[in-house]
Amino acid sequence: MSEVSETPLRILVVEDEVLIALELECLLEDLGHVSVGVAGNAADAVSLGRSTAPDLALVDIHLVDGPTGVEVARQLSADPRITVVFMTANAKRIPPDFAGALGVIAKPYSERVVASALDYVARLRAGRAPSSDALDGFHLAPAAGGGAWAGDGI
Amino acid sequence: MPLFVRRVCAGVMMTGFPNGATLPSGMTVDVFAAAFEASPTPMVVTDPRRDDNPVVWVNGAFLALTGYVREEIYGRNCRMLQGPRTDPTVSRAMREALAAERPFEGEVFNYRKDGTPFWNGMTITPVRDQTGAVLFFFSAQADMTDKHRLEVAMRDANDALERLVGERTADLRSALEEKTALLHEVDHRVKNNLQVISSLMLLKARRTPVGEARDALQGMADRIGALSTAHRMLYSEGDVSRFDFREFTADLIADLAAGLDGDRTRIETEVEALALSAAMAAPLALLIHELATNALRHAFPEERHGRVAIEAHRCEDGMRLVIEDDGVGVEAATPNPSGFGRTLVEMVVRQLRGRLEWSDAGPGTRIAITIPLAEAAL
Repeated sequence: MSEVSETPLRILVVEDEVLIALELECLLEDLGHVSVGVAGNAADAVSLGRSTAPDLALVDIHLVDGPTGVEVARQLSADPRITVVFMTANAKRIPPDFAGALGVIAKPYSERVVASALDYVARLRAGRAPSSDALDGFHLAPAAGGGAWAGDGI
Repeated sequence: MPLFVRRVCAGVMMTGFPNGATLPSGMTVDVFAAAFEASPTPMVVTDPRRDDNPVVWVNGAFLALTGYVREEIYGRNCRMLQGPRTDPTVSRAMREALAAERPFEGEVFNYRKDGTPFWNGMTITPVRDQTGAVLFFFSAQADMTDKHRLEVAMRDANDALERLVGERTADLRSALEEKTALLHEVDHRVKNNLQVISSLMLLKARRTPVGEARDALQGMADRIGALSTAHRMLYSEGDVSRFDFREFTADLIADLAAGLDGDRTRIETEVEALALSAAMAAPLALLIHELATNALRHAFPEERHGRVAIEAHRCEDGMRLVIEDDGVGVEAATPNPSGFGRTLVEMVVRQLRGRLEWSDAGPGTRIAITIPLAEAAL
């Protein structure tokens, strides 16, 4: 797999499919990071975000209570300690401002893309400007230098 | 006609018609008067030299049209035919034309004696003497009510048609929007389900002891990953029926290369830009994944170094896909006990109606596949 980051990220998984969430947690641990929990709906996501203050929240758009992931991203990214990355098969629903998120990993994702996205986030948070050439399937929000977002997929 | 009329109505003796026209022999003013009286065209003559330009002559057709008798009309202004629904802008235009001694042509909404309205289409011509002074106005008229009714009916029919077309267009637009929304929804579900299936496989693989079963589960998860790449590519661009084969292959190979020790083995691709039919995405994903994985797994045993090259080009028969390695070759490679990979490749090539050739590349193995493409892809 990809290089293990020197500083493990504390990650909140916002995902309503328990199988995906469970496997994603395993993958995150394989990659040397730590899961702080899984939330399947908007309220849980926001309250878990407040109580755990993760480094990174991986947010699906469609949750148990509907397409509430966008609002979850908006609220979590309002906390400057939390980096938000969408992880969704529904990228068309992402608003042009990305609701404060850094970027999006398209589902179905490959381990490679998840690894490179986490690596990018870890470097960014460590203050080392990551090269956007090394994004490898991880699509950045326009505000993060990812270019215009047509909202029509990636 | 107005020329004759001028003479008759003016009642002025003239030495001849302009332009050299002459009355035919035997034709007298009385004969003209009789002819006008008998004409089915309603006609009226007014005298502007008298106060309020009164009617001084009408023919029988005019009486029939309006329902009046002569005594009720003579001496009165023609506006007696107007009523509440007469368009004031039209009567003003008529008044201005007469005041300026210009001819007038138009349709006026008039009323008969019994109150029934009709559209009165008319021409009004000033009748002048030799000095050019206006003696009379002559007007020929026609009941245009039927024409108006037809026009209104036509307009209504047109409006109704336009409304209908508008409604149909709106229906079609909303049907298209619904279809697009449905496509997105299905696309979303397919992608999500692939993610669930992949997660399921990987979870089971993680809980399975290292060995054949675990490898099989991991292998299946990788194949689902390849199918996932196909679906990620589809519908992401404007054209839902095609996908970019070069980008697709690059993504597919990047997933395979991520697991490689780059110093020992590497994958090289040389793929022509081809817009292929969406239906080919899944079989091609499986095919390329299988062949590349197979080469990486079996061509380089015991830390052997090497490379796998993937090339795709347009050819006369469609597309030629070549996967070549410089490894130990088919004969030397450890045979896969189940041969599932090879069977899968043969099935997929058959599904794509392609041709498969395995050959010794000396060193290594060369697999060439020719796949027919629909005309639109070329």
